[in-house]
Amino acid sequence: MPKHQSINQNLQPDALPNFRNIGVTLRTVLCVNGMALLIAAATATSWLEITLRMADISALLQPVLLSSLLILYLLNPLFARLNYRQGIAVVMILTGLITLTIYHFGGDLYVQPGEYSNFLAGRNTLLGGMIAGLLLAYFRLRTQALSPALHASRLQALQARIRPHFLFNTINAVLGIVRANPKRAEMALEDMSDLFRMAMSYSGELVSVQKEVALARQYLALEQMRLGERLKVNWHMENLPEDALLPPLILQPLLENAVYHGIEPLAEGGLIDIRLYCISNEMHLEMYNPRTEQGVHHEGNKMALTNIRERLNLQFDIEARYTVESGKDFYRVHILLPYVKVANHDAC
Amino acid sequence: MTHVELPLTIFVVDDEPPARNRIKELLSDCSVQLPVEVVGEAGNGYDALVQLSEIHADIVLVDIRMPQMDGIELAQHLNKLPNPPKIVFTTAYDDYALKAFELHAIDYLLKPIRLGRLFDALSHVRNAIPLRTQELQELTPEPRKNLSIHERGKVHLIPIQDVLYLRAELKYVTVRTVNHEYLIEESLTALEKEFVTRFIRIHRNCLISKDAIEGFEKVAEDKDGESHWTAKLKGLDEKLPISRRQQFIVKEFG
Repeated sequence: MPKHQSINQNLQPDALPNFRNIGVTLRTVLCVNGMALLIAAATATSWLEITLRMADISALLQPVLLSSLLILYLLNPLFARLNYRQGIAVVMILTGLITLTIYHFGGDLYVQPGEYSNFLAGRNTLLGGMIAGLLLAYFRLRTQALSPALHASRLQALQARIRPHFLFNTINAVLGIVRANPKRAEMALEDMSDLFRMAMSYSGELVSVQKEVALARQYLALEQMRLGERLKVNWHMENLPEDALLPPLILQPLLENAVYHGIEPLAEGGLIDIRLYCISNEMHLEMYNPRTEQGVHHEGNKMALTNIRERLNLQFDIEARYTVESGKDFYRVHILLPYVKVANHDAC
Repeated sequence: MTHVELPLTIFVVDDEPPARNRIKELLSDCSVQLPVEVVGEAGNGYDALVQLSEIHADIVLVDIRMPQMDGIELAQHLNKLPNPPKIVFTTAYDDYALKAFELHAIDYLLKPIRLGRLFDALSHVRNAIPLRTQELQELTPEPRKNLSIHERGKVHLIPIQDVLYLRAELKYVTVRTVNHEYLIEESLTALEKEFVTRFIRIHRNCLISKDAIEGFEKVAEDKDGESHWTAKLKGLDEKLPISRRQQFIVKEFG
């Protein structure tokens, strides 16, 4: 992935899908079987015949589909070394060869004695390759459809940092303490510049969980300066693997919502509870904050959440889940992500 | 011509301690040219209202976005005081309020506040026209959380969730809670508009709280034998007549 992306460059660089993602696998299985069903229906002359044809097709199709998925799963790390065109060629040829191999060595299962012909072998090989090509085209279109979210999120992240409410109140607070406590004021300005730097250099690449947590803490320190005792934060990170990676700027916008909608409207303040943990290869991010019954400013809230949802969808497909529980006096966000480690960076 | 002026007394309301600190520092910077005295400070509207019933301030500097009672509601209640202070709003950013300020030509201070702007505002505010309650309500989309009356030199708050009905009579509006009845000088139409989510009109002169509705009863009128609907509210024996035009309410809430 090129390091420098212009902000108005609207498309993701093309890349093969991640064959180790459940979403990709599931979509492939559904699409291929869907196509088979269409073919079965197109050639059938009665309802019953559709099922018979489907069974015929499946006999060759399912083994080819499953072994292709398995081989692509195994080879997935190697694809990272190829450029997009080479990748497409390799995947199409590979699928064609798998089809041919299974057809050729499948023996009596596929070929009645005397029926084997070069035409059928060639046709099946080509069909295998073509279907793989069609699916790759589908994944490319899907990525393109979702990628504006990533770029929008970068802009939004930037705009959110310069959200006037946060910016001016924080500057005002720094001015309020600079005479009495210049050291604290210096620290606040440093934290602020780190936050802005992160938002401006945002590229969408995964960052280490420590980095993301550190940024979130810097943000909270700024809010603490303004709100003092009213803002209490509890971090629970006992079961957090140190080598985990997270999409950047995922915690901070959620925290900002929690502060703005949850803590600020409460005179006595409240507690934001953050839990980060990993269970059987899944990362969980949980955030809980109290809130008052009536809240008016909920538009901005939705925007940040929608954007995070789209980013997760693009990066992890169905392997990421996102639930919001909104009670009368509390608000809870629960995000579930695949556990991506530092060494195993190919999952994005 | 010179005459010795008493220092301007100033009260500061902001929920963020550093923001209050900033204003106090600027005020002490101001005092070189303009004698000012900070007579108190508060972190929310309630606290400010209690303190300002005891002590007088010429000017109250009020932050708009605060928990519990925001600055605009505070200003509306302060207006009920016998000698209401002049109010200068401060805000870091509030799109809605800023538009309204411009519309009504109300002076305000943007945070971070500059010394020069504060000085100007303090110098001019003495001659400023006092803000009307109605005008203040237009500064925010949110209704007040309390109605207020002036009672023996203090402002008494009536939490809006305690109000069962509002009834217009001549110059005043009667505010009825379970145990009390108050008179306020506001228009029923404006109240209806402000509290549209909480109250519903049952008669030309009466709004009732939707949450307080216990039931509806048909009452026969003795004169022409015609009967009409009345509303029964929780905790009240009184039955409030529903006008013919508003009878759909019986179906909707019955």
